[in-house]
Amino acid sequence: MLKESLTRLRFLFSRRTRSELDAELAFHLEEQTRANMAAGMSAGAARRQARIDFGGVERAREQCHEARPRYRLEMLVQDVLYSLRGFRRSPVFTITVIATLMLGIGATTAVFSVVDRILFRSLPYAHSDRLVSLGIVHSLETQEFVMGNFYYEWRANQRPFEALTSESTGPSECDLTERSPAQLSCESVEGNLLPTLGVSPVVGRNFLPEESRAGGPNVALISYGLWLNRFGLDRRILNKTINIDGHPVQVVGVLPKEFEMPRLESADVLYPFQIDEVANRKENGGYGSPRRIFARLKPGVTVEQARQEMEPLFQESLKQVPADIRKQMHLMVRSMRDKQMQDVRVAAWVLFGAVLAVMLIACANVASLLMARGAGRRRELAVRSALGASRGRLVAQALTESMLLALSGAVAGCLLAEGLLRLFVAIAPGNVPYLSQVHLDLRIVCFAVLVAVLCGLLFGLAPVFEKPGAEMLAGRSGRNATRASLRQWLVISQIAASMVLLTGAMLLVRSFWNLEHEQLGVRADRTLTVSVTLGSYNYGTSQSRMAFFRELEKRLRFGPGVNGVAVSDSVPPEDFHIGAQRIEDIVVEGRPRPHEASGELVKFRRVSPDYFRTLDIPIVLGEGFTDAERGSQQHFAVLSKALAERLFPGQNAVGQRMQIGSGDANPASYTVVGVAADVKNGGLTGEQLPEYYRLRRDQAEDWECCGHWGQTAVVILRSSLPAEALSPWIRTQVAAIDPALSVDTATMRQRMSKLVDGPRFQTILLGFFAVTGLTLAVIGLYGVISFLVAQRTQEIGVRMALGATRVGILQLVCARSLRLIAWGAGTGLLAALGVSRVLSSLLYGVGVRDPLTLIVVTLVLVAVAFVATLIPARAAAQVDPMVALRCE
Amino acid sequence: MLLLNVEGKMTSGNDLLQGTLDLLILKTLALEPMHGWGIALRIQQLSKEALQIGQGSLYPALHRLEYRGWIKAEWGASENNRKAKYYSLTRAGKKQLDAEMENWDRIAGAIALVLKGA
Repeated sequence: MLKESLTRLRFLFSRRTRSELDAELAFHLEEQTRANMAAGMSAGAARRQARIDFGGVERAREQCHEARPRYRLEMLVQDVLYSLRGFRRSPVFTITVIATLMLGIGATTAVFSVVDRILFRSLPYAHSDRLVSLGIVHSLETQEFVMGNFYYEWRANQRPFEALTSESTGPSECDLTERSPAQLSCESVEGNLLPTLGVSPVVGRNFLPEESRAGGPNVALISYGLWLNRFGLDRRILNKTINIDGHPVQVVGVLPKEFEMPRLESADVLYPFQIDEVANRKENGGYGSPRRIFARLKPGVTVEQARQEMEPLFQESLKQVPADIRKQMHLMVRSMRDKQMQDVRVAAWVLFGAVLAVMLIACANVASLLMARGAGRRRELAVRSALGASRGRLVAQALTESMLLALSGAVAGCLLAEGLLRLFVAIAPGNVPYLSQVHLDLRIVCFAVLVAVLCGLLFGLAPVFEKPGAEMLAGRSGRNATRASLRQWLVISQIAASMVLLTGAMLLVRSFWNLEHEQLGVRADRTLTVSVTLGSYNYGTSQSRMAFFRELEKRLRFGPGVNGVAVSDSVPPEDFHIGAQRIEDIVVEGRPRPHEASGELVKFRRVSPDYFRTLDIPIVLGEGFTDAERGSQQHFAVLSKALAERLFPGQNAVGQRMQIGSGDANPASYTVVGVAADVKNGGLTGEQLPEYYRLRRDQAEDWECCGHWGQTAVVILRSSLPAEALSPWIRTQVAAIDPALSVDTATMRQRMSKLVDGPRFQTILLGFFAVTGLTLAVIGLYGVISFLVAQRTQEIGVRMALGATRVGILQLVCARSLRLIAWGAGTGLLAALGVSRVLSSLLYGVGVRDPLTLIVVTLVLVAVAFVATLIPARAAAQVDPMVALRCE
Repeated sequence: MLLLNVEGKMTSGNDLLQGTLDLLILKTLALEPMHGWGIALRIQQLSKEALQIGQGSLYPALHRLEYRGWIKAEWGASENNRKAKYYSLTRAGKKQLDAEMENWDRIAGAIALVLKGA
């Protein structure tokens, strides 16, 4: 086989002279003549007979030529050159096809590369399709969790899972207390987390059973990132102890580079749970410490089956929960993928649909253009066929042409995709998972190119397989009717598809507009927030936390241009759930405690007195907090207007006293000193909840709180200086108190803009698709109408000769195109109404059937499409009847 | 009479026997190196005039075989001392001939069986 190829290759490069073949054939004829003469023929007759026996000399010569290995290559070169000449002759056609393919392939590939990571990529765990996250959800916590006691019961009695594992919900800040201290995040996990996920350490080992018991040795797994940055990938790390929060910890292993925690949180250090179960059962009010749990399904068990099997255990556990909270709790079991992707999924599917629509429009365009070209070239084909071109040659030629177009489109498309991908990464919000790792996927590129090539082949070859009739040579075209109607259908579906895209994009734009112009109720200009999270080792006591933030507040108060400083534990409008409680936990003095649980939630913040002034939240009633109250022994509160109206309808809330605390034996009594205007507090799109503010006094008890949340506080600054100038100064001030802390500064504007990052991303992407789709559809419509006009030039000439006016001709052409537009827009409108429902979870402040959107989109589409037909229609009206009649 | 065209198909009757011309050429050349006209003559004589080569078709076939490396061509002097192109079998060609002969025997035998049985 190899030898044969080599021989062919040799002949490919050696050039055979034509004279050699001539000599060979001449020798044959002479020998035959000689033989004939020897048989007794005359010289003339012998020569004649020899030629007859031989057959066509020229034909033999050609066949020898075709047998050469070079022949096909030469034909290919010829075809390519011919196609290129053809492209140069009709540059508009060529550029349109390539641009269409470029847009189609580019957009499809880029977006699919992003969506693929979100929807279809495999998680970095073994058999990740069998991993689930499960637990209880309720109105205060929408991410599933489980109490320790429940977990022990579930683990002992469950059937659907191969293994259950858990991690703590607790604080994760920790400090590397070594020569150069650093803040890390440390997670505590059950010893079997890695085996359950199907992951093994790259260096070292997983936790041993004796290390996952109460009183076990201090051991940890560290992340690849920490290993790289801190220890330079030194394998001797395994014998080292590192100092975390003042304790020596032995490193037993390093996690793989691509490892991700099940909740995608960052973790530099993993500790094994060293929990005494018996003791733990009594903790946390007798519920056990809360966990996040994950499980591996047994083979063949579905998520839904698992949920049904766990339901009895869940109901059993619920019996331990007070009856009024019970009905707000639900069991949730969902796949790990769903857990990790949260609501990004819907957006991803929407994008995917948009991509398909654009691809459809692009393909319809290419098909339509190629058909038009094919119809225009039937005469050329007929001539070539008449001159002796075989069907094979014509097919090869058409194939070459289609492939050239498809490949140039594909190359351009890949370049576009690469550019788009960079653009996406640049504008995407931080919460789109894995976006930074996205790259052009070769499979996707191949898929898009394949679709384009198939589409090109199908419609590029169609004209060749039509038998070129004799009438084509005469230039009469009569059989275009079916093709024309197919193309019209294509245009209708293009318009319909872009109508759907435009509607979706328009709805998102309106929703985005609503978000951007949302009244927040707080001041956003020239307001800077400084968020600091303290390590629980250095700042374990409430005293030390208070001291730190008081010191920071004092230092910042004297900053350049600063004219307001407040300290709070959180800042609106961000959504936070920890500072929330049930409304039943607020008991107004002099009223009975309500028995019935309403499920209503109230938010609260702990703030310093200047909070309202710094954020420009007006106090509508009463005084608000005063600096003097900071030193008081009493508790003070300010209610939001909504809460004041809820608790004290028609009454003056100021001066009322209420007891706040959930079921505590000794709830604190708060005096209401004012009512503040409402602010957005459920994120930009979330429900706005009633809210109250507790004065955070200079008392250690006000700095006592729960886990992570108690370690973080936000200093809000109002300054006449721009944020960029102020931030470095703030950092030096924090570093002056404690150089190991990390500081997160952001203006209120930035915080808000971050909240609309997601919607902005979706809007831009879908808008991009809508514009692409519309452009392609308009090109398609233009192409069809101008083709129809070109075909009817003669007819138009006759009409004009018979007295038709230019206006009449204009109407004739426009009426036809308007029919197409009306059909397309009508179908598109129906489809849009059906499809836009999937967008509902992405929209804010606008319905999925928003009439304004539908009207505007219809008008825009009709107007743009109409302009696209006016150009060829005007050309038709300019037809000179004399020229038209003579032209054929 | 059977006429062989360029594809080596027998055009009289049916298209069954593909590659037959190639086989005949290879077989002829297995005896001794020969020029094109000689090959045509030899096939005619050996088949007792039953197989008449379409002489025009012979040359494309010869060239094709040469490009495949089964035969090679050299210029030499003919019997009456004229310059002629002599074809001879290469080693690959011999192997190919053996393979095709075997194949031929198998098919011919199979057909004979069917015809006899019918």
